[in-house]
Amino acid sequence: MRKLSIIFTLFLLQGLAAQELFVVTDPASNVPAGSLGIRLGQSIFKEQMKSGYSYHLMPEVTWGSNKNLMLRTSMFVSNRNSQLVTEGGSLYAKYRFFSTDDLNSHFRLAAFGRYSFNNADIHQETIEIMGHNTGFETGIVATKLIKKVAISSSVSFEKALDNKPNYPFPSTQGDHATNYSLSFGKLMYPKKYTNFKQTNINLMVEFIGQTINENGKSYLDAVPAIQFIIQSQARIDIAYRHELYSSMLRSAPNGIYLNLEYTFFNITK
Amino acid sequence: MKNTNLKFILIACLVLIASVKSYSQISKVEIIATGLTCSMCSNAINKQLKATVGVDSVSTDLNTNTFLVYFKKDSKVMPRVLKEGVEKAGFFIGSFVITMPVENLKAASDKTISLNGSTFILLNEGPNGSTGETKLKIYDKGYVTQKEYKKLLKMFSKVASYPLENEDDYHIKIII
Repeated sequence: MRKLSIIFTLFLLQGLAAQELFVVTDPASNVPAGSLGIRLGQSIFKEQMKSGYSYHLMPEVTWGSNKNLMLRTSMFVSNRNSQLVTEGGSLYAKYRFFSTDDLNSHFRLAAFGRYSFNNADIHQETIEIMGHNTGFETGIVATKLIKKVAISSSVSFEKALDNKPNYPFPSTQGDHATNYSLSFGKLMYPKKYTNFKQTNINLMVEFIGQTINENGKSYLDAVPAIQFIIQSQARIDIAYRHELYSSMLRSAPNGIYLNLEYTFFNITK
Repeated sequence: MKNTNLKFILIACLVLIASVKSYSQISKVEIIATGLTCSMCSNAINKQLKATVGVDSVSTDLNTNTFLVYFKKDSKVMPRVLKEGVEKAGFFIGSFVITMPVENLKAASDKTISLNGSTFILLNEGPNGSTGETKLKIYDKGYVTQKEYKKLLKMFSKVASYPLENEDDYHIKIII
């Protein structure tokens, strides 16, 4: 916690954050039109209510439909029942509706929506349609880039439905929530570019929060991350998610993310 | 009869020569893109420009986000296609400068130049010399930063065609 606040202060001192390809949240910018991004997301989180770790595997395909619209499909695989089982999937769309750019800076706004389905058992109060709940989410995101620093913030509404066929959403829990995020990123290396082959290193920190609308139960997590961009085409993210505050029941709030991503440019017209 | 044929061939040849000449070649374009600082973003633009039909090669300065675009022989690529490429990658253009032979810039009396179906409208005086290369900068919406365009709208308020934002009309100034 103390280390985190030191990292955060350092970011602030440096004139604020980085590049905007965040680990947990998505910026207002989209992937290039006609490109295809393939991501293999993995996470290992420590179980709080039982021993062991929960492992999630999340393959994703992202497509730039046009310069303003991006579509993504995700698959949720987890080891919750001791072996790897595909529990669900998700469709996501993001539309950039405002953009003002200047040399080395931009400010963008986008609206997004996601629908997910999941057949796993519901074992926490947190609503998370990325791998846990069936449901939908809709919101807006604003991203500002100033030279090597990016700041992004989002607000969304998330609603959980029954995890069909076997697990209806518990009537004792609030089934809709407000989510908010604040993300900072900074390009640390290289100081000066020489070519496309150079590895870029970005440092990031994200703050992710949720409040269940019905009862006000909330959590706030911090996610510091390091990101490597290889040959201007591939991406490796390593991040650690840490709960700063929580008043709700969560099964595994702390853990590590490892994402691998590769972008194929100009796949479609 | 033979004579008529000859005349016809001769005229046909002349028309052909004239039309070949009017499909004049832009030798090079220099684009400065805005709204990015990461090399993956530059690469998206780089790949998009390279994939444009008629483009031979692209060289990039990652520190300034400047893209030098070279064309294939007889390519008729117009600025609009390159602009759309940059925007497809998710970014915008801050500056767009064309390098071309002076002899292709013979302006009509109304200061317009027709080129490959597009119209170039001169905002300043025509080129000084009649040989060598000249550089011209485009001042239309989408070819300068949004801030700059707002100022230019006032500056060029007397140019009737400027605020129309017709995609195939390019308002240019000769800078060299």
